[in-house]
Amino acid sequence: MIRSKSLVTALLVLISFSTFIALGLWQLDRAAQVKELQKPYEDKPVVALSEVSSPNSNLQGESVNRLVEFSGSYVTQFDAPNQVDSNGKVSTWLVGLLEVDGGGYILVVRSDANSDQPRGDIFVTGRLFHRQYEDLGERIEGKLSRIDPSLLVAEYPGDYYDGFVLAKSELRDGVALDLPRVALDPAAPTIPGYYWQHIAYVVIWWLMALVVVFLPLYSRFREREGSPKE
Amino acid sequence: MKGVVLRFRVMAFLAGIMSLLLWFVELPVVYLLDAPELEAKVKWIPFVHGYIYAFYVLTAIHFTAKARFTIKRMILFILAGTLPVFSFVAERRVSREFKF
Repeated sequence: MIRSKSLVTALLVLISFSTFIALGLWQLDRAAQVKELQKPYEDKPVVALSEVSSPNSNLQGESVNRLVEFSGSYVTQFDAPNQVDSNGKVSTWLVGLLEVDGGGYILVVRSDANSDQPRGDIFVTGRLFHRQYEDLGERIEGKLSRIDPSLLVAEYPGDYYDGFVLAKSELRDGVALDLPRVALDPAAPTIPGYYWQHIAYVVIWWLMALVVVFLPLYSRFREREGSPKE
Repeated sequence: MKGVVLRFRVMAFLAGIMSLLLWFVELPVVYLLDAPELEAKVKWIPFVHGYIYAFYVLTAIHFTAKARFTIKRMILFILAGTLPVFSFVAERRVSREFKF
């Protein structure tokens, strides 16, 4: 009986200790990520869209801001009103819904000027951004209240890439489409909190790990000493 | 014992103040208001709270071990620092129980 009780205690201590250590490591990792994101953003080489994202899966933090390239054909296009660029200029952005060669739809911010929908296969190079969460305009036909693929799923059923691409260039048959492009800085860090805040949590979680190891020893000590104070 | 109790009471008071600031100032500003300027002004609260809580835990363990409290009571004292007001309650109880 005593042996099984000790075994259960040991198991509980082990589980709690491992959990607290893991939580500390998680916070340490977040602290490192925050520090990394605070550095000025440096562009990595352009990659194929399929290397950093796939349809029907959430856009991962490390994929945001990546320069990507892909080709496909535009299905339709929308106006996204009240969008703000890096210079604070408020305008209506032209957003195309592009069917990517190989499968899946993706939203592409083409320009802040009007333009006809290009026909045929278009090769796009641009920067990946998180989808928008706040409505900036009305939800009416032909307009996007925010740049978010989830708004289109009902009307255009299919597999969607998460987020959107801000086009830097579009080529048709190797010829660049001449359009004014939207200026937008890489997205700000999306990990909440500050470096020393996460380090404080590391200290706490690891302190808790030590506490769970200490408690059974304390219990033994009290049993040996007798007459506990309740 | 007097020094141990005093240390615990000071840390319980500080942890209580920081918990109040965290729960009723920092969290509402960050998650309920859309005010980046105000957010920047309260950004020190969570990490000061974090370090103070770590010291609170150490003083709580030291005090409860010295006072030879049960494990259950030791855990309750440790947890008291996580919620606003509870560390004040712990501090009051200790000051009533241990008069020098």
